[in-house]
Amino acid sequence: MKQITTPTLTPRRAGRLRALALIPLALVLLTAPASAMHIAEGMLPKPWAFGWMAVCLPFIVAGFLSIKKKVAASPRAKVLLAMCGAFAFVLSALKIASFNGSCSHPTGVGLGAILFGPTATTVLGLIVLLFQALLLAHGGITTLGANVFSMAIAGPFVSWGVYLLLKKLGAKPAVSVFCAAALGDLVTYVVTSFQLGVVYGNYVEYLSIFAVTQIPLAIAEGLLTVVVFNVLEKYSKAELQELSVL
Amino acid sequence: MGTDRCAYLSRLRLVDPIPKLWFSLTALLVCVFAESVAVGLFTLAVLSGLNVALGGQRVRDVVHFLKVPLAFLVVGCLTILIRPIGEAEALWALRLFGRFRWGITAYYLRLALLVLCKALGAISAMYFLSMNTPITDLTMALERLHVPKLLVELMELIYRFIFLLSGEAGRIRVAQESRLGYQNFRQSIRSLGELASAVFLRSLHRGNRVYAALESRGYTGSLTTLPGQYAPGAWFYPMAAGVAACQILIFFAERSVLP
Repeated sequence: MKQITTPTLTPRRAGRLRALALIPLALVLLTAPASAMHIAEGMLPKPWAFGWMAVCLPFIVAGFLSIKKKVAASPRAKVLLAMCGAFAFVLSALKIASFNGSCSHPTGVGLGAILFGPTATTVLGLIVLLFQALLLAHGGITTLGANVFSMAIAGPFVSWGVYLLLKKLGAKPAVSVFCAAALGDLVTYVVTSFQLGVVYGNYVEYLSIFAVTQIPLAIAEGLLTVVVFNVLEKYSKAELQELSVL
Repeated sequence: MGTDRCAYLSRLRLVDPIPKLWFSLTALLVCVFAESVAVGLFTLAVLSGLNVALGGQRVRDVVHFLKVPLAFLVVGCLTILIRPIGEAEALWALRLFGRFRWGITAYYLRLALLVLCKALGAISAMYFLSMNTPITDLTMALERLHVPKLLVELMELIYRFIFLLSGEAGRIRVAQESRLGYQNFRQSIRSLGELASAVFLRSLHRGNRVYAALESRGYTGSLTTLPGQYAPGAWFYPMAAGVAACQILIFFAERSVLP
């Protein structure tokens, strides 16, 4: 990288080009939320791609063992877990409106972590992300490790931790669900921008794009999760208690 | 859903999935490891070409699916390309708010181009697999490759349930939209929350019903199915070697042309 300290544009010419510059910037801001959460196939250089896979491996093994234990205890858990995985896939295909007019989809990270615990969410997340890569080209095979880390490990563990902490502190259920889901969503994006920023050296740029688009989305996801929880609590206490068997 | 329809219509559908898997993975890995513009473009051309020639996919479909991740790629590459550059020499630059100098430098132009081409090559390799192999064949192949049985079974069940639940969610969505359920932000959060919870409850009920159905048919904890009858696909291995050899050749050719 060459560092030569001679500006090539005078401020006047730059002023004329300012209007031009707004086009790509607007493009970035408008399209980023729609697909920003998955890192596309081939976007990461090989050391990072395989490095993230290695980081994910222990979490996946732990999650797999915990699922194995649950399935051995009650065979029905397998079918229910599979339903939950499919639910996560369908949830991520739903469009969610945001305050600033942009549109994205919920990550379902907080909901999954609170309902099934973070370790089971990791394994289900791995399968769902693989299907999204193969069927919808959201994400990819070589970037699977990075995507699993941001969406199926970092997000769920933060959500779960926040939920447990607030519950222990005696916060209202709605407040703790909201905080867990919104923070889980936000952490997912921060980790994704970190994963891209550490490779291409511009954290600030990715984080500022995310700050504009993702903070409202995180709030929307938090509200959405609270609504889901209220309905579930009202109509299906028995099912929720059954789920804690999982 | 997505590439699924193409996979069932593919001419290569009945070919053994394991050679197809290795063929796509070799092309994908060589493309990612080469980190070169020419190899990326070569992989894009050859794998998309083979997708049409061998798989019998329509060109329109291949182009359509390549366009899907393009939005993300363009955004990703624009953020690499246009960035704060300090006082470095630039091909094009401007001052945002009169203070921060943003622009394009030759180095980052090359990097963005590299990432774009490499990613397109890798995506076309992935599409060769997913547009010619139904997921159920792929999961059975994974089982033959000694991926834990529990994981494979979960994949198969999830794959089946995705279609059940997305149909259900789609019908609820239509019902809500026809009753003005997404008119404003408040309303749409409420509708979406109700949709999600309704789908969740129904998926639990369905899960219980599926379990009851399985148990009444002698379910003992694992779903065993017979593998399909596949056409031999060993001819994919020499082809994989050939494509990889061409990729590596192009990699070295590019190295010797460009400094």
